[in-house]
Amino acid sequence: MTVGTAPSAAYDDVSYTRGGVVDRADVGALVRSAVDGDAAAWKALVEGLSPLVWSVVRAHRLEDADAHEVYQTVWFRFAQNLGRIREPEKAGSWLASTARHESLKVLKSLRRLTVTSDPQLLDRVSEERSPEQSVLDSEEAAAESERIRWMWQEFEELGDRCRQLLRVLMASPPPSYQEVSAALGIAVGSIGPLRQRCLRRLRARLDARGAL
Amino acid sequence: MHDEMPEGREPFEDDGFDGDLLEAELRQAAAILDPVPAQLRENAVAAFALHDLDARIAELTFDSVADAIPVRGAGDVPRMLTFTAGEVTVDVEVTSQGLMGQVLPPRPARIEVLGGPQTAVPVDADAMGRFSSDAPLTGPFALRLRTGAEVVVTEWTRA
Repeated sequence: MTVGTAPSAAYDDVSYTRGGVVDRADVGALVRSAVDGDAAAWKALVEGLSPLVWSVVRAHRLEDADAHEVYQTVWFRFAQNLGRIREPEKAGSWLASTARHESLKVLKSLRRLTVTSDPQLLDRVSEERSPEQSVLDSEEAAAESERIRWMWQEFEELGDRCRQLLRVLMASPPPSYQEVSAALGIAVGSIGPLRQRCLRRLRARLDARGAL
Repeated sequence: MHDEMPEGREPFEDDGFDGDLLEAELRQAAAILDPVPAQLRENAVAAFALHDLDARIAELTFDSVADAIPVRGAGDVPRMLTFTAGEVTVDVEVTSQGLMGQVLPPRPARIEVLGGPQTAVPVDADAMGRFSSDAPLTGPFALRLRTGAEVVVTEWTRA
């Protein structure tokens, strides 16, 4: 029986207090089951870690076509390497790191082709309606919907560094700081302070707008 | 850390700011405004079929996008990729028309161009190990090679 004290780890105070890590405690077990041919375990991995991969790709501001290709490449490669991943419990970091690597490669090839930078990011938000969004259709929910949209706009207008960090942090379930570190190539120890700073900035923007 | 700080007066004392709450709201916003596209999620679920314990993986050891020095003024340079698994090397050149390549050391091989869990286009390598496919690549791809008793699969790569 494990009662009382949580297992200790190097970054106990920062990363292991985040809720998502609890959900991810069985990632290693899922990977091992998937290696043994358990398709349901694989599906659970996809469900649990897809938002992280997508967040990393989006944090690098890839356009839709590139984002889709990178996302697929990452999952195909993960499937291919499933039995060879040395630390199955760190599969999230493996995926985040691979997504980062592939995203950077896309950005490098785009720069080489000297494509003009015109990501139309804010437009995309207003054009596409997700299924969840349709749920917000009642009149009462309209204000809530508007609030979320404002928040997203202010988030998009943050500086690159903050926008990138927050886009990864907002994956669901919340990524561990090890995963964030793998996703962005920044030290685990700097994530907490940077996160706090970026959230404060966003708060200030929202307050200035009187949005919340 | 020397991040840019234009305002230069961010309060350090506890002013009741709840970062966790704001982050949770952002998480909700992301789930609504920028979710994982459903089709992509399904593709990832289907990718379980690509899990193959018997094949040897040929790792990407050279990629002209990442490793080569750009040629100024050269607009449409082909993508050059090299995959390596032990003594087996596969050189691939990707163009808008398709791909061509060679297995080294030279040997005949049966090759499949994989485009995902459900897509495999067979091509044959000649006695020198050369092969080509005129089906344009539209997304991530991998090559599966059968040579003798051995199966080698290249690491999945964006074309």
